[in-house]
Amino acid sequence: MSNIGIIIGREFNERVRKKSFIITTLLMPLLMVAMMIAPSLIMLHSKGDAKRIAVIDHSGIVAPQLESGEEILYEPTDLSVEEARTLLTEYFGVLEIGGDIMTNPNNLRLYANGSTSLTLEESIEGEISDIIEREKLKGYDIHNLDEILRQVKTSVTLTTYRNDEQSEQDGPQEQAKSSALSTAIGFILGMALYFILILYGAMVMQSVIEEKNSRVLEVMVSSVKPFDLMMGKILGIASVAAVQILIWGVLIVGTSAIAMPALIPADVMQSVEAMQAGTLDVTQEGVNLQMLNAVSTATDVHYMTMIFVWLLLYTIGGYLLYSAIFAAIGSSADSVQDAQQLQTPVMLPIIISIFVMMTIFNDPNSPVAVWCSYIPFTSPIVMMARIPSGIPTWEIVLSLALLYATFVAMVWLSAKIYRVGIFMYGKKPTFKELWKWVRYKY
Amino acid sequence: MRIENVSKHFAGHTALDDVSLSIPQGSIYGLLGPNGAGKTTLIRIINRITAPDSGRVLFDGHEIAPEDVYHIGYLPEERGLYKKMKVGEQAIFFARLKGLSRREATVRLKEWFVRFGIQDWWNKKVEELSKGMAQKVQFIVTILHEPKLLIFDEPFSGFDPINANQLKDEILALRDKGATVIFSTHNMSSVEEICDHITLINKSHNILSGPVSEIRRRHGNNIFRIAYRGEEESLHKALEGRCDLLGVEDEESMRYNTMKIHIERDEDVRAVIAAVNEAVELRSFDEIIPSMNDIFIRAVAGKL
Repeated sequence: MSNIGIIIGREFNERVRKKSFIITTLLMPLLMVAMMIAPSLIMLHSKGDAKRIAVIDHSGIVAPQLESGEEILYEPTDLSVEEARTLLTEYFGVLEIGGDIMTNPNNLRLYANGSTSLTLEESIEGEISDIIEREKLKGYDIHNLDEILRQVKTSVTLTTYRNDEQSEQDGPQEQAKSSALSTAIGFILGMALYFILILYGAMVMQSVIEEKNSRVLEVMVSSVKPFDLMMGKILGIASVAAVQILIWGVLIVGTSAIAMPALIPADVMQSVEAMQAGTLDVTQEGVNLQMLNAVSTATDVHYMTMIFVWLLLYTIGGYLLYSAIFAAIGSSADSVQDAQQLQTPVMLPIIISIFVMMTIFNDPNSPVAVWCSYIPFTSPIVMMARIPSGIPTWEIVLSLALLYATFVAMVWLSAKIYRVGIFMYGKKPTFKELWKWVRYKY
Repeated sequence: MRIENVSKHFAGHTALDDVSLSIPQGSIYGLLGPNGAGKTTLIRIINRITAPDSGRVLFDGHEIAPEDVYHIGYLPEERGLYKKMKVGEQAIFFARLKGLSRREATVRLKEWFVRFGIQDWWNKKVEELSKGMAQKVQFIVTILHEPKLLIFDEPFSGFDPINANQLKDEILALRDKGATVIFSTHNMSSVEEICDHITLINKSHNILSGPVSEIRRRHGNNIFRIAYRGEEESLHKALEGRCDLLGVEDEESMRYNTMKIHIERDEDVRAVIAAVNEAVELRSFDEIIPSMNDIFIRAVAGKL
C-alpha cells in the first residue's frame, strides 16, 4: 500500500510540475469561454451589409407590404425582368412575383447574382407567405381584422411537474424543472465525461508505453508488484485529473460569477426569486416563463448538488474502468501506433454512448437509452445525459453498482495482461494473444 | 541463498528445467550461459518478478517472501530510468520503493554522489546524461538500500575501462562488507577477475557449477608448456615415450624455446620434469589452465 502511495506521489508531482500541464490547465477555460463567445461574435460580424433585392411585382399586392429589415432591403422597380437581370448587377438579385401569386403560390422566382443561402430563401418565403395569408383573410371582409389578429396571437409555455416519490415528499409546490436546461446540462456533462475518459485514459496508456520503452518497468517490478504499479499509475493520473478539473471548475465558475449578473437582467432575477418563493404571478404580461424556469432550476441548490454527486460517481467509475483497459493495452504495445488497433474497439462504446446521448434529448426513457445506462461501458456518459431529466434513484444505483463491479473485474483482468505485457517486446499484440496472457499462471 | 529444483515453463518452451544451485553468502557468483539459456528467467524468479512452476527459492534460510525484495538490489541488463525526471529525485523515488525513508535516502545518496564525483548531476534530468553516466546513477540506485543480495546483469557494458574498474572495486567492496552478489555476464575475463563461484546454464539446465579456480583446474587437459634453453633434439629424446608432443611455439619475441606437451593423467609429472631438466636448461614448466572462455565454449558445445 505504501508503495502505491509513493508511485501516486511520483505520477502526481511529475505531471503537475510540467509546463504543458500548467499551460493547458490555465488555457483550457479561456478556450472554453472563447468557444462560448465565439459563435455570437461571429454572428455579430457576419451580418455584413443588407442585401438589396429588386422586386418586380406583377400582382401589385405583395410589393407594397414587403418590409425591409436589417438583412434584406426590398426595392420595387419598374424594369422588366430581362432588363433588371442585365442592368441591376450591383443588386443581390431580382425577385419576380407572378401576377397570380394569390392563387398560384409557386409563381415566385429569385434571380440571384451570387449564391443564396437557405436562411435568406426561407426569410423571403416566410414574409411573402404571411402577406398572402393576411390578404386572403382580408378577403373574408372581417371588421376590425388587425385588432383581432393582434389579440389572437399567442405563445404558450409548458411547465412540467414530476409525479414521482420525490415530488410527493416535497409537496405540490415542488418546482418544475426546465427541460431545456436539463438537456443542456446533460449534454455538457456527457461531453465533459467523454473528454475526461479519452483525455486521461489515453494519458494512462501513453505513460505505460513510455515506461515500457524506457525499460523502467524492469527496475520497478523488482521492488513493486505489477498490480500496485498499475493501480499507482491509474490513481496518480486520477489525482492529476482531479486537480486539473477542480482548477477548471473554479476558473469557469469564477468567470461566470463575474459575468452572470451582467448577463441576467435584474428584473428576471427578481422574478426568479418570486417564483422560487411561489409568489410569482405568471399571467403577468412580459414574463418569459421558459427563461425563468431555466434560471430557477439552475439556482436550485439541491437539484444541482444531486446532479454533481452522481456526475462525480460516474466520472470516477468510468475513468477507473476505462483507464484499467487503457493500461492493459499500453502494457501490451510497444508504441502508440501499435496500441491504436487495440484502442479502436475500446473507443467504440464511448462513441456509441455519444450517439445514444443525442437520442436521449428526444426521449430519456427510450429502450436504447435505458439499456445503455446499464451497460457499464456506456453507462457513464449515457447516464450523465439522463440524470438531469430526472430518473428513479434505484435505476442510478443499479447502474452504478454494475459499473463498479465491472471496474473491479476489469482491473483484475488488466492486471493479468499488464503483468505479462510489460515484459513482451517486439510482438504486435492481438486480442487472442491478450486472452492467452490472462490465463498465464504466475 | 539456495535454489532448489526450480522449473519454469512458458507456452511452447521450457525456460528452466529442474535447476538447483546454492550461492554462498558473501561470494560473487557468476551466472553464465549463452543467450536464451534461461538466466534472465532465473533472475526474475529470484527477484520475485515471476514465480517458478515448481521448486523453491530460499533466501537467508527461509522461503523467499515479499518483504525480501527490500534486501535485494537488481540492476537489469536493459537499464531504465525515467528520462524526464531529475537524477536526485529519481534516485530518492527508487530508494523509497525499496523501503528507505526520504531523509535516509537523501543522506546516503549525497554520500554516493560525492564518492563518484557527480554531485552536480543532482538536478539534471536523466535525458541530459550520457549512457555511461546514466549507468552510474542506475548502479547507485541499485545498491543504495544496502541489500544483502545484489543482482547485476552485465554491469560493465557501456562503461569505459576507468569507470568499469571503479565499478569493479565497488562491487568487490560490497562483497567484502558481506553482500552476496549474483553476476550475470557474457564477459568471461571479468568472470575470471571477480567471480568466486559460477554456474553455467545452457538450454535451461545447470550444466556446470562450482568455484572458479576449481573448475578451471578440473577442466585442465594436462597440457604443459616447457620453456628451455638447449637443443630441441635432446628434449625430444628425453620426452619420448613419456608424453605427446603438441608442437613448438617459436615466436621470435620469445626469449626461450618453448614446447607444449600433453601428459597422460596417470603419468608422473615429476618424472617428466626430471627428464626435461636432464636434457635441457629448464626455465619454466607450467600447466596451461584453460580460460573461462574455453570452458564456456566447450561446455556449451557439450565437449567437457
